Amino acid sequence: MRIRVRVNGVWYERDVEPRKLLVHFLRDDLGIKSVRVGCDTGHCGACTVLLNGMPVKSCNVLAVQADGAEIITADYGDELMERLKRAFHERHALQCGFCTSGMLLASYALLRRNPKPTEEEIREGISGVLCRCTGYQNIIEAVKAAI
Amino acid sequence: MKHVGRPIPRLEDYHLLYGGARYLDDIELPGQLYAGFVRSPYPHARVKRVDASEALSMPGVVAVFTPQSGRPFDFAPGGKVRYQGEAVAMVVAADRYLLYDALEKVYVDYEPLPAVVDPIKAMEPGAPVIDESLGTNIAKREKYASGDAERALSSSDRVVEEELVIERTVPAPMEPHGVLAAYDGRTLLVYDSTQKPHIVRREIAKSLDVPLTAVRVVQPDVGGGFGSKIQVYPEEIRVATAAMALRRPVKWVATRSEDFKMTTYGRGLILRYKAGFTRDGVLKAIKGEVIADAGAYDWFGFELASTAVTMLPAAYKVRDLDVDAVSVLTNKPPLGPYRGAGRPEATFFIERIMDLIADETGLDPVEVRRRNLVEAAPYENPFGMSYDSGEYVAGLQRGIEATGYYDLIRNAESERARGRTLGVGMSFYIEITTYGHEVAIVRAERDGSFTVAVGIAPHGQGDATGIAQLVADELQIPIDKVRVVWGDTDLVPDGLGTDGSRSLTAGGSAAVLAARRLLDELKKAAEAMVGGPVEYSNGTFRSGDKAVSIAEVVEAAYRGKVKAQLEAMEVYRAKATYPYGVGVVVVELDPETGLVKPLLYRSYDDVGVVVNPLLAAGQIHGGALQGISQVLYEDVVYDQEGNLATPNFAFYHIPKATEAPRYEPHFAEAPHRSEHPTGTKGVGEAPTIAAAAAAIKAVEDAIRRATGKKVRLRRSPVRPEEIYRLLRE
Repeated sequence: MRIRVRVNGVWYERDVEPRKLLVHFLRDDLGIKSVRVGCDTGHCGACTVLLNGMPVKSCNVLAVQADGAEIITADYGDELMERLKRAFHERHALQCGFCTSGMLLASYALLRRNPKPTEEEIREGISGVLCRCTGYQNIIEAVKAAI
Repeated sequence: MKHVGRPIPRLEDYHLLYGGARYLDDIELPGQLYAGFVRSPYPHARVKRVDASEALSMPGVVAVFTPQSGRPFDFAPGGKVRYQGEAVAMVVAADRYLLYDALEKVYVDYEPLPAVVDPIKAMEPGAPVIDESLGTNIAKREKYASGDAERALSSSDRVVEEELVIERTVPAPMEPHGVLAAYDGRTLLVYDSTQKPHIVRREIAKSLDVPLTAVRVVQPDVGGGFGSKIQVYPEEIRVATAAMALRRPVKWVATRSEDFKMTTYGRGLILRYKAGFTRDGVLKAIKGEVIADAGAYDWFGFELASTAVTMLPAAYKVRDLDVDAVSVLTNKPPLGPYRGAGRPEATFFIERIMDLIADETGLDPVEVRRRNLVEAAPYENPFGMSYDSGEYVAGLQRGIEATGYYDLIRNAESERARGRTLGVGMSFYIEITTYGHEVAIVRAERDGSFTVAVGIAPHGQGDATGIAQLVADELQIPIDKVRVVWGDTDLVPDGLGTDGSRSLTAGGSAAVLAARRLLDELKKAAEAMVGGPVEYSNGTFRSGDKAVSIAEVVEAAYRGKVKAQLEAMEVYRAKATYPYGVGVVVVELDPETGLVKPLLYRSYDDVGVVVNPLLAAGQIHGGALQGISQVLYEDVVYDQEGNLATPNFAFYHIPKATEAPRYEPHFAEAPHRSEHPTGTKGVGEAPTIAAAAAAIKAVEDAIRRATGKKVRLRRSPVRPEEIYRLLRE
């Protein structure tokens, strides 16, 4: 099937197998590697992207379902994403870095819909993404710092 | 400006945040094929026949390797599979999706055999034997004895006997295992998600019977390891072998569910023991055995049991000990190191014993520890471990003050009046870090900067930043003049990689000494240039009113105007060193459901010199959550037939941000240095070691507060249903 998606502001048009997952379309067909695969059950959230502004796990979406959609990945470089990346760096909010794309996007989506979240709302907002390194505290502090 | 001791954000971050990250699956080579494994659904079975003909006829399938392929693939060694998920065949295909189609079409005839997954049952007569050549499931047993435990038990006021169990855990770094290998007819290039690139190189060369020079291993960005990427797995050898056989790049990346089938598991130790103590709370003797649930192959089970035994006495005075280390084969994936590797278990066991003594004597848990602690290092424990430096009694006191332990208890009491059930637990730990040699090369670059190539292989810990701080201070230059590289066997010297909380201590010390030697070389060149003895400070050599900068000396040497060594290599032999401290966990119990939530982790750690407090605190946070999570959340479950009932993140619970506590680490203000040039002792595993032991006590404390009854928890994890039952008993 032929699909068109707009990723980080750029339109792409490709033929895809109907069974192809969005995460594999982004990684293998478009070469956008910042979207990562950490599980096969939809639990880890490393593959989180924004689909029409909503954070989704791109391993739970077929590429064809994204036809016509606007997708944002961690490579997106607007002012809010930059602020988050700077805060992640300053607060030591990443260690191995594997979950970081997912964390950035979950945080980005949270701050877009709720610019002044409480700590509890931040914890809730990033709880779809698992991190095994940081214990989460510095990620939460980074999101607070980016508010 | 001095860099050591400052909370400098990581130099590694730019690469990871701004699109530079390349984890294993992000790397693609032209013509790359995908490999996958056919895995046994049975925990124990003879493999009678593997039929790959249908798979081979499918579109995109390039090759199928089976037990008939022989060595070094080595599928189903001895004609058997010994755990559910053990690989029996490997399919190589042109595409990820076609690969998974083909894996379904490899037919294996199995003759199922009775399986045993409980190590205690595996030791009983009549249990299914996993390795017929041994004739028993007891892979190894060794006695560790000191003094006279029998006599000390009989002269004790009280003797207790029980069994403490630490169930297996899944290390579960967020990036699963994976390998990508390519062969150019002469050299194998292997990208590997590993903690030990040079060890992988050696193992591949040995298994494939090629010279070391024919193998280059590159460690890309690695998405965590926690010990599970120490082992060189059969999959790594098989992917390399397939790439060589097919002359095409071959990539294998485990799915998470596959990772749960093939990774080494952690913990999995049992202590069966008798302990004797006085009515004053002084531990007199321990007699018993530490049993490792080693899995189908004893890759690391015995090491874990023996580490747990040799560290069991901790910093306590008890010297009458008689404890066996035993590794037992079971029909499960092999046991391996997981953050702490034997020390969290040792601490968990001995701290459970200290809590038991407190309960039995009615003494305060802190007081029991104070009465048993050795005053200070140097101290040789009964099994010959030489604790290098530290004040244990004073450290306990400082730890209790720094963590506000008694305030937390008082707070729990007053919260009870408001209807909240909190529990507070503390532990005192001592652990061993650092072993082996480590290597570093420091090279002066033409622009006056320095490249440090290290044999350690960090993957998230931030050692590159720590080492840059150390080297910048040694050379008295700004940190942005130092670049640290690692993880490519063609470019960096042969080291042992990253594990055992040793990287900054062993690798950093090698780097400091190499930098020192290089500076001496440059000093000689500077003296030749200015024609007299020079003094060095902050990047400049001075002799009277003459001065030459380090960059000018290097530039002159590069242009052949002065003779100088521009590179220095140091091989550093690193002795063990012993961090210690106090961990305190506060939990909240919901008496309606038995669910426990961690609220707070406070710690006091004497880990030697803290090179970078920002990164050290980061280690405490993440390490503490892993220790707490082992007790509260993470549960590996097998059914009676030996099927893994927790095969991925849908069933095995890794804590989310909503389930994590706050962390408030404190580091010793006047730390006891190790004897290494860095003065560091290591911080990567300390929090995991301290937290599990404190967490289980916190749960006991919460149950006691809810019911008014003393309870004794003997198993990690503590399941909510067990708590629920205890609350209603």
